[in-house]
Amino acid sequence: MAVPGPRLRVAAALSVLLLAGAQALAPSHRLTARDLARLRAALERPFADVQAAFYSIVGLGSLGVRVADEKAACNFIKSHVDSSSVDSLFYAAQSIQALSGCEVTISNETRELLLAAVSEDSSITQIFHAVGALSGFGLPLASQEALSALTARLSKEENVLATIQALETASYLSQQADLSGIVEEIEDLVARLDDLGGVYLQFEEGIETTALFVAAAYKLSDHVGTEPAMKEDQIIQLMNAIFSKKNFETLSEAFSVACAAGSLSRNRYHLPVIVVPDGPAAVSHHQPVLRLQVTNVMSQPLTQASVKLDYAKSASSKATVLQQTAFTLSGDVFELNFMNVKPASGYYDFSISVDGDKRFIANKVELKVKVSTEVGITNVDLSTVDKDQSIAPKTTRVAYPAKAKGLFTADSHQNFALSFQLIDVNSGAELIPHQTFVRLHNQKTGQEVVFVAEPDSKNVYKFELDTSERKTEFDSASGTYTLYLIIGDATLENPILWNVADVVITFPEEDAPSTVQSKDLFVPKPEIQHLFREPEKRPPTVVSNTFTALILSPLLLLLILWIKIGANISNFSFAPSTIVFHMGHAAMLGLMYVYWTQLNMFQTLKYLAILGGITFLAGNRMLAQKAVKRIAAEQSSRLAKYRTLR
Amino acid sequence: MSGAAGSGAGSAGSVGSVVRRFLVEYGSGTPSRLKVLDAYLLYVLLTGALQFGYCLGVGTFPFNSFLSGFISAVGSFILGVCLRIQINPQNKGEFQGISPERAFADFLFANTILHLVVINFVG
Repeated sequence: MAVPGPRLRVAAALSVLLLAGAQALAPSHRLTARDLARLRAALERPFADVQAAFYSIVGLGSLGVRVADEKAACNFIKSHVDSSSVDSLFYAAQSIQALSGCEVTISNETRELLLAAVSEDSSITQIFHAVGALSGFGLPLASQEALSALTARLSKEENVLATIQALETASYLSQQADLSGIVEEIEDLVARLDDLGGVYLQFEEGIETTALFVAAAYKLSDHVGTEPAMKEDQIIQLMNAIFSKKNFETLSEAFSVACAAGSLSRNRYHLPVIVVPDGPAAVSHHQPVLRLQVTNVMSQPLTQASVKLDYAKSASSKATVLQQTAFTLSGDVFELNFMNVKPASGYYDFSISVDGDKRFIANKVELKVKVSTEVGITNVDLSTVDKDQSIAPKTTRVAYPAKAKGLFTADSHQNFALSFQLIDVNSGAELIPHQTFVRLHNQKTGQEVVFVAEPDSKNVYKFELDTSERKTEFDSASGTYTLYLIIGDATLENPILWNVADVVITFPEEDAPSTVQSKDLFVPKPEIQHLFREPEKRPPTVVSNTFTALILSPLLLLLILWIKIGANISNFSFAPSTIVFHMGHAAMLGLMYVYWTQLNMFQTLKYLAILGGITFLAGNRMLAQKAVKRIAAEQSSRLAKYRTLR
Repeated sequence: MSGAAGSGAGSAGSVGSVVRRFLVEYGSGTPSRLKVLDAYLLYVLLTGALQFGYCLGVGTFPFNSFLSGFISAVGSFILGVCLRIQINPQNKGEFQGISPERAFADFLFANTILHLVVINFVG
């Protein structure tokens, strides 16, 4: 299908958006004929119950399709309607209204039931179904009462679906009633839509709700006669969201999309226009006419419209080649013969506007059109140029597609040169295509080397092969090479692969390579051995044991010195506090050892606190006693000194 | 510590005589309690020096162990010096509120904390 068209347009529109920022959004989704067929198939299921019948009949009606067997549908509804349920009556009433020649009589009880449902105590869904049923059966309805009940319920039920149902309900009420309060709800609902990437606009409840909203908004607006408060960009974004759904899991989804499609193609205010190229957007001498399909959202052609080209600019030079030209209608498509202005090959930006109806929206479209042409190669000269410039170059002219006779040589004294020109066959202008390659293919080894031929200032392409400069590309493999010329571009209809000549290339002998092996990138690579972290260098055990013994020698020295000085424990009093202190202190030292071997800091601190507390108290007592003894001794010695002095 | 500072007359003999004089004064003038403490300080000094020498010779492989041992020696030496200063009867004037018993209790407490950290670090 014409899928590239909308995408191209979206890309063009988005890029223009970036620059201008004020251009309208282009629709990216619509219902193609295939989508319509899928939608119809989804709706044309055999009826399961009255609700399913309603979805099918009314959905197909929105698409402009009649049900296959109307009489059978009518009988089905009449036999399956449940007169005690307001919902069932609603579905039946609306379906019967859509079918032609289907009549049903309503008993008084049913009427009373429906009228009773229109009150403040029923939910909005109940009111909607009751009003819809009364209207569908053609029964009288008190619009003012219904309106007040609706307004009262709306203030209590704030969710989106309820508001949409209120919009639908209002479209059944008489125009005498003041429906402006309900109409304002459209604007509130629009504010609750979520903008996804600037392309889609939908409710968080989903596509079905969004589609129902669009259908209800247009139904109410048409009924009341005021334009719905939705901006053009918002309508296009809503369209994109709704028609992005191509597969319908439930009947209600298909129904909602069908209703939205129907309302967007037939309302009094807004008609979105879809402009799609018929086939690829490309013209050439063989196909000089650009064909456009201008349709509404349901792919129905808008043959009443007038389609005009505002301008066509070259994408590269921005020069306008054509402006203000009308497209002609041919059958269902609009045509324009673009090749009449003899455009050069390349890409062109078209700006197209569709007019004819005030309701058209999205009617200014940007399109990128390709103009293709055919290329011709002329003035092809093959020559061998002597490096010393002593012999004049021998030039052979070849004509495409013939092959040059004879062999050309390129070796250490001669270079091989090729020059040619590329022209547009139809206009005679010089062309600079994207791909101009010279490919040399070694017949024996299968090697190929590709070079690019560059144009000079006069647009003459030149290529020169110097064996000494190029030996690395060739791997110094001498031999006969076939020379091909490859010309290609997106705008060329006849890309060229031309076997021009055979060239014998000889490289100096000392660089003769070994047999050329194709480089295989996909063989296993050498395995990497993981280097584990080397352990630190340690001294031999003997050394460290010796040191351990050595470190104990100062301790020995200490003991000897202490004995020499005369340290003793003769003053050791066996008071309980002393014993407790020393035991506690020893225990603390033991705890240090246990900490080193087993415990962690927290456990140690715990034990240390206990032991330290005991030791501290005992030590305090012990030292206090010692202090008392010392002070007593000092006092007695002072007293003795005092006495001797006296 | 009563040490007579003799002025060296420039010959090696006078250094030797100063040292000898110092030793004599030290031996007679220092209370034995302080001598005991000095012996302890010497022991700690030697231990620390030996550890440092070993590390220089053999390498710092378990660096945390070396550090904890060395710092234990240095810290013990410092605490010992503090204790010595505080219980020296000649410094009594400067430490009015601190009795020798209190100094000793402080010494024990500080050593406990120091060795707790050292044992944590020795690994």
